[in-house]
Amino acid sequence: MNHSSDERGAELRELFFETSQELLQALNDEALKLEKKPGDEEIVRSIRRTAHTLKGDSAACGLREISELAHQFEDALSVEGATANAAVAEIAFQVTDVFGEMISAYRKGSKLPSTTSLSKKIKALTSAPAVRKSRGKKAKSIAKPSEWTEYEKLSMTQAQASGMAVYHVVAKIDPHCAMPIAGRQLIQNGAAAAGRVLAIRPDPKSPAAVKQVELVVATSGAPEQIEARCKIPTIAEEVSVELMLAAVEIIDPAVNAAAQTIPDPAQPLPSKSESGAAENSAVQSTTENILRVEAGRIDNVLNLVGELIIGKSMLQQALSEFSKRYPRELLRSTFADAMAFQARVLNDLQRSVMKIRMVPVDQLFRRFPRIVRDVARQCSREVELVVSGQDTDLDKGILDAIAEPLTHMVRNAVSHGIESPEDRRKAGKAAQGTVRLNAYHQGNQVIVEVSDDGRGLDAQRIRAKAIELGFVSPDESSRLSDSEVTDFIFRPGFSTAEQVTEVSGRGVGMDVVQSVLHRLKATITVETRPGQGTTFRLKLPLTLAIIKALLFWVEQRLYAIPLNAVVEIARTTEAEVHQVDNYEVLQLRNQVLPVLRLGRPQLVGEEGKTHKLFVLVITVGERKYGLIVDALEGEEELVIKALDDQTFSTDLVSGASILGDGRVVLILNLPAVVEHFAHSRPQESGRVHSGLLLTATDRMRFAMTQAGGRA
Amino acid sequence: MEQFAPVKRSKDGQPVRYLIVDDSVFARKNLARMIETFGGQVAAEAGDGLTAISEFDRTHPDIVLMDITMPQMEGIEAAERIVQQHPEARIVMVSSVGYQENIVAALQRGARHFVQKPVKPEVLYEVIKYVMGEDGAVAQSAGAGA
Repeated sequence: MNHSSDERGAELRELFFETSQELLQALNDEALKLEKKPGDEEIVRSIRRTAHTLKGDSAACGLREISELAHQFEDALSVEGATANAAVAEIAFQVTDVFGEMISAYRKGSKLPSTTSLSKKIKALTSAPAVRKSRGKKAKSIAKPSEWTEYEKLSMTQAQASGMAVYHVVAKIDPHCAMPIAGRQLIQNGAAAAGRVLAIRPDPKSPAAVKQVELVVATSGAPEQIEARCKIPTIAEEVSVELMLAAVEIIDPAVNAAAQTIPDPAQPLPSKSESGAAENSAVQSTTENILRVEAGRIDNVLNLVGELIIGKSMLQQALSEFSKRYPRELLRSTFADAMAFQARVLNDLQRSVMKIRMVPVDQLFRRFPRIVRDVARQCSREVELVVSGQDTDLDKGILDAIAEPLTHMVRNAVSHGIESPEDRRKAGKAAQGTVRLNAYHQGNQVIVEVSDDGRGLDAQRIRAKAIELGFVSPDESSRLSDSEVTDFIFRPGFSTAEQVTEVSGRGVGMDVVQSVLHRLKATITVETRPGQGTTFRLKLPLTLAIIKALLFWVEQRLYAIPLNAVVEIARTTEAEVHQVDNYEVLQLRNQVLPVLRLGRPQLVGEEGKTHKLFVLVITVGERKYGLIVDALEGEEELVIKALDDQTFSTDLVSGASILGDGRVVLILNLPAVVEHFAHSRPQESGRVHSGLLLTATDRMRFAMTQAGGRA
Repeated sequence: MEQFAPVKRSKDGQPVRYLIVDDSVFARKNLARMIETFGGQVAAEAGDGLTAISEFDRTHPDIVLMDITMPQMEGIEAAERIVQQHPEARIVMVSSVGYQENIVAALQRGARHFVQKPVKPEVLYEVIKYVMGEDGAVAQSAGAGA
């Protein structure tokens, strides 16, 4: 075994881990179908085919445990009458789960989960004599070639195909040897020094292990060498080496073809030729045009594109400086043309790279049928899942990040949203509830919706709970609209689930969802109608890396917010800012907006009244706010540089970016800014205090202080 | 004590050099005497695994006789570390029957062979010959003369 073959092996495994997810998903989907149509032969056949593929793939990259379990499952399904067994679907689910666990265990290099109970259930599927039992008995007698497992046989033919001869080695362990198991290990080491050990019998724990050991060794060397290595004084004096498979002259990559040459009278490889051929062609047609690339490499390219964009704005600045200095220089237009061309190509480049990162949301959506089924069963609900918009593309990073929150929301919809069948009937609804998952594009965003036709959120209960938790005073709460009230469910620590069930409400709730979304610069809104259902709407950015942003100044510092959030830019005066309770609000045409201030009001007293202000009307969730800024800088594409948590002590800033001239701009995390405002509202009545003051002690290290008020 | 035909290094005809690792002084002396009857030479001794590693680095012996249970660092770990640094190291585990599993572990980690305590000279002799393989040569005439 040389180094490069190890590397290839690792690559192969990685590929298997990737593709196996699809196979497991397929298995899951088929099991769901079978559950709806019990006993359907076509579906069972398809399950068997999937198990077969899993078996072959896992064996090819040396994952014996999976391969053997898949083999058992496939075998069990091949037995007459297995199709009619209602347990097939249930077991298929379990196989999916256990395989998933095994694969992630392989991946992490951790301990494999136990498969004995599953393997028992698989065996129980068939009334035919259990395969395993007969194997166990035989192991005590002398092994026959037919006794090697599917995995071992496959590795033998592979060894043969790569030009090695395969030998069957039997070594008798010296009865005087006091430590026969250690002796056995020594023989195995000896054999491994002479070639590649493909199989070893019997199991070291079996009583037969102290008498002799059998090995299958592949080598391109002479068989005498194996004998010499295994003949160990005081341990094994008697060693026999027999040829099992002669080396093939030509290296034949088609292992399947070679597989049929294995001397296997007892058990011909089942239906290899018919089903195998179909699978192979299907697999090939998809793999030929698809390149599997590590996400990190694409991120690298995207980063470089980001740097180029910074470079572009540097050039642009230089050009405008140049134009000012030499207004009559004809070269200017040549430069400008070249710049425009470069900008266009850069734009295309950025879009193409981002497209690489895009995957259809179906990758995430397709795991929900199973989740809905499981949760519905656990809480005795009848639920149908309707999925639409699966083809909508989303950045892979974002998709991965929303997987958990979305799962949480779907679970919630089933367990808390949908009523029990009796309650539904009483309310005059169909016993079966519906949960809908939908995704679509809206401008530069992707919307993902989870809706149910259940009982809806109970605004009264949320109100009561919010008061109980001290989020609002009873007085204030009476002035809040129902939709303002329902937003409380996103607050940390809020849960109206009366008891903590296994299914959902594990002490954490929508606030966890919210915190993930903050990170993604995404927003969530909820819309509910009592008795008719609830819709959660996630608004996600198309990508995490580059945003169009609006830059502005507050107290001589430069900030940016995503342009998506800006609805309007208006000018107004301090006189238009009014005081309502503890809020500052602004009347703009016929709407009243809560005011957010990042700095102190510039001027106090009468002359302040006429002071002109810039107001950015922004939307956060469904609500609009007026953000007061000192001056506007402009619009720019920002390449977001992630900030680690150590650098920033506040969540009010979601990232930073570098402008063409080297200045650093901080990107505000609007949902957090709004949240902070809601929390920091002064409790005592009277004149409103100044807003938030962001101070930077240096460019990167940030501290958040709140101005103490002017009273 | 019976005498064996000396095993010499085939490359230069010099005595095979040993590192003896055991926390018991008695066991070390016992093994040293046996080795001398094989025509070997004790390059170094160590009473624990850590010392064994440094002594191996210092003396580069042909064979290490390694006890399993020792203070500081167990024999298995010491063997594993030595083999990691020097894949050509020939380590023979020396232990009582009760430690069969440990021996299996040591063999999986690169030890070349094992002998059981109490060590029988004729068994150790065979083991040494096997472990030395082509790098060792039995000097027939010299053995008869001694």
